[in-house]
Amino acid sequence: MTYHFENIPSLIMSILQAFPVTCEILVVSLVISLGIGCIVAIGSLSENKTLNKIAFTWIAFMRGVPTLVMMFLLFLGLPQLMTNIGIPISTTNKLPYIIATLSLTSSSNMAEMMRASYLAVDKGQSEAAYSIGMDGFTTLRRIVFPQAFGIAIPMLGNNIVNLFKETSLAFTIGVVDILGKARAISAASFGANKLETYISAGIIFWAICLILEGTFNVLEKVYTKGRKKATS
Amino acid sequence: MDFGFMKEAFPQILAAVPVTLLMAFASACIGWILGLLIALIRKGRIPVISQIFGIFVSFMRSVPMVILLYISYYVMPDLINQYGSNIGLSIDVSVIPPVVYAIFALLLNQAAYSSEVFRSAISAVDEGQREAALSIGMTEFQSYRRIIFPQAFATALPNLSGLFVMLVKDTSLAYYVGVYEITATANLLSMPKLNFIEAYIMTTVIYEVLSIIFNKLFALEENHLKKFRGKLVA
Repeated sequence: MTYHFENIPSLIMSILQAFPVTCEILVVSLVISLGIGCIVAIGSLSENKTLNKIAFTWIAFMRGVPTLVMMFLLFLGLPQLMTNIGIPISTTNKLPYIIATLSLTSSSNMAEMMRASYLAVDKGQSEAAYSIGMDGFTTLRRIVFPQAFGIAIPMLGNNIVNLFKETSLAFTIGVVDILGKARAISAASFGANKLETYISAGIIFWAICLILEGTFNVLEKVYTKGRKKATS
Repeated sequence: MDFGFMKEAFPQILAAVPVTLLMAFASACIGWILGLLIALIRKGRIPVISQIFGIFVSFMRSVPMVILLYISYYVMPDLINQYGSNIGLSIDVSVIPPVVYAIFALLLNQAAYSSEVFRSAISAVDEGQREAALSIGMTEFQSYRRIIFPQAFATALPNLSGLFVMLVKDTSLAYYVGVYEITATANLLSMPKLNFIEAYIMTTVIYEVLSIIFNKLFALEENHLKKFRGKLVA
């Protein structure tokens, strides 16, 4: 079998047409998972024992289940369950399912990230804020959050890269994202250039991951510049 | 909910657990050894080779597992075929089960991830430890084996445990290349009567139990290795 690696640049260009879809999945599920993660993080930090238990169970559960299984559960199982109890939901639009899957599975990582960076801020900081008369919310907004954010940046970058890699599962349920497009191109040529197509898709993922990593490195440097290290 | 189906299918899904575990253990064993070698090569700054491995690690870490699986699934048979004809053997590629290709992709991924873990763990061991070992007459190899590795391993273990649990989850992706592990078996069994809900709830439960078991085992081992860790932060 012969390979035509000289086709890779043109393949990359045609696969990139599907980039907006991947971007949409990534951004929407990032926002939702940050939202869920925030709620779970608040639960895991609260003094209330029941809330605490629920939050930690959520984190452990979402960490243990593979994204693929979660996706099948939501895309194949949920519509069935809803039809059984009398609320039929449509599966013609597949984007919400992949977005829901990714939001749920990455919410545990986001929650852990927020919890760890909140705890990394020295307790004396908030005590000092209280002592000069700030209330709880002002302390969080003006003192704790800016420091916790600096600590969270590298972890956030890592989580976003992982989330981006997991968007590649969207093709399983028929969404035409980067990998879905690659498979369509490969199928159109009856599998003759499947290796080249998958390598092109791999190069696209690699490039975008490098860009993301670079961006977050710069962001961390810019943000933490001139700030005292919060962990000291 | 069709409980009859659950009762019938659960043993069959459970019977696929060994395949998942085989993939996880095989790729962890080989991958982590490779990872350790890559870490040592990159730590020793051997020119050219260490740059090549740097690129390898960066590529493996940023390409999704699915793409790696597909590439391995499509390329390996060709490579084996060509290698066979080069040395004058005709190897029948079709007898090689797809699980081999899945393990190959998983182990390369593990090698890349674990090499970063080992690299940071070895760097975390104080340079003075190595110097002290050399000063009392140990060879370079002995200093690594007796002094540096035990300490580095204790630092690396929590990260390795996370890596392994991630690996167990990643084996579910071998479904794409036709390996009948837990997810693929559940998928197959659910098809005839469309029992998706039941099949995937059972799958979820099995994965949860596996992850709890491995987390517990690694936590036990971490406790066991704590004696090496206390002295690190002197």
